[in-house]
Amino acid sequence: MAFQVSIPGGSFSRRGFLRGTAATAGALMLPGRLMAQDLGPLVEWLPGGSPLFCEIHTGLLAGFAERGGFSASETVCGLGQNTEFNQSLIGAIASGNPPDISMLWDSPVSLGAQGAFMPLDEMMKGSTIPLETWPGGLLASCQFRGVTYGLPVTAGIYTMWFNQDMFEAKGIPTDRASFPKTWDEMRKLSKEFTVWDGDYLQVAGFVPPRAVEPMAVWSALNGGKLYDAANLKYMLDSEQNIEMFNYFLDWLNEEYKGDVNLIDRSGNFTDGYPNTTTGMGPAFRESRLAGMQSGSWLMGDFYSDPVPNFQRWDLAAHPVGPSGSATAAGIWPNWFVIPVGSKNPQAAFDYLAYLSVEGVVKWYEQIPDVPTNSQVKAKPPASLVERRGQEFADSASAFLQEQASIVTPMWDSPVQGFATDQMTRAVEKIYTKAATPAEALAEAQSACQTELERVLAG
Amino acid sequence: MTAPPLAARRKPPRKTVARIVYHAVMLTVSAIFLLPFYWMVVSAFKNNAEIFARPMRWFPDPIRWENVADLFTRPDFPFLQQFLNSCFYAGMVAIGTCLSCSLAAYSFGCLRWRGRNLVFGLTICALLIPPIVTFLPVFLGWSKLGLKDSYWPLIAPYFLGDAFYIFMLRQFFLGVPRELMDAARLDGASEFRIWWQIVLPQVKSALVIVGLFAFVYTWHEFFTPLIYLQNREDFPLSVGLFTFRSQRAAEWSMAMMGATFTALPLLVLFLFTQRFFRQGLATKGF
Amino acid sequence: MADSGEIAAGATLPRRRRKAGRAEARAGVLFALPWIIALVVFTLVPLILTFVIAQTKFQIIGLPTWVGLANYEAMLKDPAVWTSARNSALYAVLSVPIKLVLALILALLLNRVTRLAGFYRTVFYLPFLMPAVSGAIVFMLLLSPTGGPVNLILGALGFDAPDWLRDPSVALWTLVLLSLWPLGVETLVFLGGLQNIPRDVQEAAELDSPKAWHRLVWITLPLITPMILFNLVIGIISSFQVFVQAIVIGGTTGTPAESTLMYMVVLYRAAFRYFNIGYAAAMATVLFVVVLLLTLLVFRTARSWVYYEGESR
Repeated sequence: MAFQVSIPGGSFSRRGFLRGTAATAGALMLPGRLMAQDLGPLVEWLPGGSPLFCEIHTGLLAGFAERGGFSASETVCGLGQNTEFNQSLIGAIASGNPPDISMLWDSPVSLGAQGAFMPLDEMMKGSTIPLETWPGGLLASCQFRGVTYGLPVTAGIYTMWFNQDMFEAKGIPTDRASFPKTWDEMRKLSKEFTVWDGDYLQVAGFVPPRAVEPMAVWSALNGGKLYDAANLKYMLDSEQNIEMFNYFLDWLNEEYKGDVNLIDRSGNFTDGYPNTTTGMGPAFRESRLAGMQSGSWLMGDFYSDPVPNFQRWDLAAHPVGPSGSATAAGIWPNWFVIPVGSKNPQAAFDYLAYLSVEGVVKWYEQIPDVPTNSQVKAKPPASLVERRGQEFADSASAFLQEQASIVTPMWDSPVQGFATDQMTRAVEKIYTKAATPAEALAEAQSACQTELERVLAG
Repeated sequence: MTAPPLAARRKPPRKTVARIVYHAVMLTVSAIFLLPFYWMVVSAFKNNAEIFARPMRWFPDPIRWENVADLFTRPDFPFLQQFLNSCFYAGMVAIGTCLSCSLAAYSFGCLRWRGRNLVFGLTICALLIPPIVTFLPVFLGWSKLGLKDSYWPLIAPYFLGDAFYIFMLRQFFLGVPRELMDAARLDGASEFRIWWQIVLPQVKSALVIVGLFAFVYTWHEFFTPLIYLQNREDFPLSVGLFTFRSQRAAEWSMAMMGATFTALPLLVLFLFTQRFFRQGLATKGF
Repeated sequence: MADSGEIAAGATLPRRRRKAGRAEARAGVLFALPWIIALVVFTLVPLILTFVIAQTKFQIIGLPTWVGLANYEAMLKDPAVWTSARNSALYAVLSVPIKLVLALILALLLNRVTRLAGFYRTVFYLPFLMPAVSGAIVFMLLLSPTGGPVNLILGALGFDAPDWLRDPSVALWTLVLLSLWPLGVETLVFLGGLQNIPRDVQEAAELDSPKAWHRLVWITLPLITPMILFNLVIGIISSFQVFVQAIVIGGTTGTPAESTLMYMVVLYRAAFRYFNIGYAAAMATVLFVVVLLLTLLVFRTARSWVYYEGESR
């Protein structure tokens, strides 16, 4: 057995750690609870999640707590998604009564930089999951100024998705390797699919990307960056980024009548789910969109949601932009953190170690959140095997894990929420032509940099 | 072609025309007001694809009764427990509000004392403060007392009073003729007795309205319980419904089913108190 | 006792009154005491703390650091603050008067003894029974370009249906529309006022002036001016605090094109999304001052148009 449960409370390192953090905690005005010796139940919080997701985590934590000598364990699900969840968590931390461990759907950097989470580096030194067992790109999104504030236990991986039936009908090869390698190739291919009926978009090939969360990937594909973590500088209005949006606009004008509203009025061509405002069905799953960018989590929903699904989809690497040189992938985090004020930090960390290498196998078997630790020998999700066969499932799973190693830095800034909103505003302005890419990006750049400097000051 | 009946038909009494016009207007307005409600219930019995189907369907076909069972059996939405929590929470707040606010409103509306106008002015100011302004210090205070993660912070303040309901009740207390109170004072009644036996019956309908408002607002109260409470089993329905919704944003029909069953008890309560309204008005003896 | 009081009235009444006045004052303070405590503990002290926090950089966790007026200066330069202030003001200007007039009309219509009165009252009250989150979602379904009944009905009547939620020039009106739906509260307050009008007053009025319109303007409206004032003040205050509907429809960025970006949304996102409590506190302070001034204005003018039956003026 690679994993040994250290008895919580009796562990030397826990006491040492507590002593180390006590001074910090005092400065943070936290109640004396941190030093309390009673173990209580081991408490874990999860954002969002389906009943299945919640059930799996409840089972994993309960099993761990039992072996670790805890009287009880408690997995709290359903406290909302990103913003609402973070707000509950921060409230609990500020009042000194946080869970022992929590999952985050954000980078831990923004809250970690403000002292909400425990630094994990000390604990990781002698553990079964040293830093080196994680891909650097993923770990970077948990680090700020050299301190690790969370662990990327599993990740949703952004890749390209395409409809093999639609490709075949046009006589286009349907293997992963033949997928377009550059934006130009993809744009050329897209035109072959796109059919307009007046102002109604019946079928489309690929639609220029608008979603803000994975925009860092597109920027990287064009040799750019949204944020330079090492130098604490936003780079939104860099030459590559302006060029990128001009490219997308050009594409929109040429193939989509220059009007995103026409696209949106015809269906949901932006992701794999029904639109949250209009309820429009996902064009990709209705076989009206040949390809798109999406995250690996769609594999889990592909066979459960009451929207039309097709069987023959596959994944491919992102094509590269005119100024780019290499492909890249993106992530949606399922990161874990230990809040400052956790009553059982060492047990929480031990649980993290267990979850990262062993627990994650059970997790991935049922939900396609890709395990990221190099020691994991995971089997692909059962539903995928059932629908597409062992061979496809193995190959898709291997492809995703390989993509995890070329992930581009995503949201590892201390002002992530602010920057996301600024980018949303800029992208909306660009696509509705309320501002040129250069203008919109310059405005966002200045706002983000100002906010970053304000937060970091003092 | 007999003249009298035709004439009678051609020129019906003005009152009848007025009545018909009145009901036509009211029924049209009612239909507009009912549409969202109708749509909520209808959507609750469809699936997602049917909700957005083109052409639009006025009735669910088939009626998906399994959605009801689904709502009550979800492991991620302990509906009944949260229902009881909501009843307790809203009930306590309504009782507390009626007691404390009618006392304070009586004092502001019917009693003369030095500083009254100042305190009432401050009350109006308190009304103007967006709750979010004072939220964080109050929250930290309750945490220091170790009472976070309980219903104390949610209920206790209402037993002391609430600016909104005090202001509202005072408007009604002002309408109570002062002669009534003065007469009782001359009879030697204590102020407490005047409040309880003479003034309160005068504003019974207002009290019922306030109690009802307090109950309904609390039933929907979202932000505070979300921040103070941490366990799903402790949540009132408002938070349960939201957290359930936010984790399955695409499940429109379940969101609507949850909303339907959250609104249903209030409807029953309203129908019940409506009868009370009329009783209150009848015994008032105007 | 009453008899002896009457007999002795001439000599003892002034002293008795003074005594009674003192008892009244004591009772007044006593009855208001719980609320005074609440006012201090839950409002005054936290409010002062908020004014202080507004002059600090406070990221929720960790200690606040003093920055003076920097948060207010940053507000002046923040385009989101200006956009949202404009949106919120427009929303208030549109929704408050429309809502008040509609609620008054509804209350007058409801204040009739008919067989269906109970039914109508229930219908107008129903929206109040729906949680705000659900209400916003239902409207999204109702106004949906696919499968929503509103556009279908408008189309059948020969109107061009707007893109309710995605056209920047329409989305704010959609929010106003949403605010008009739960009219029940305002209507009930008016109705309460109308039903408290003594019947003899109405009967006398009916004899004096046979025209219903005259009775409405000269008798009924003056008698319910306290309720108009109440609804007006509450309307102004709540219109600046509209939040749930705005964030369900427009998210934290007020899509489309920031047309649904309300002041409270900007305040909320500053506090709980950007963790910039100091800034949020500064925004809250400004909101507080603006609403306070507006309300003072209303109360100042109210002296000339509000009539209180029981109050000596």
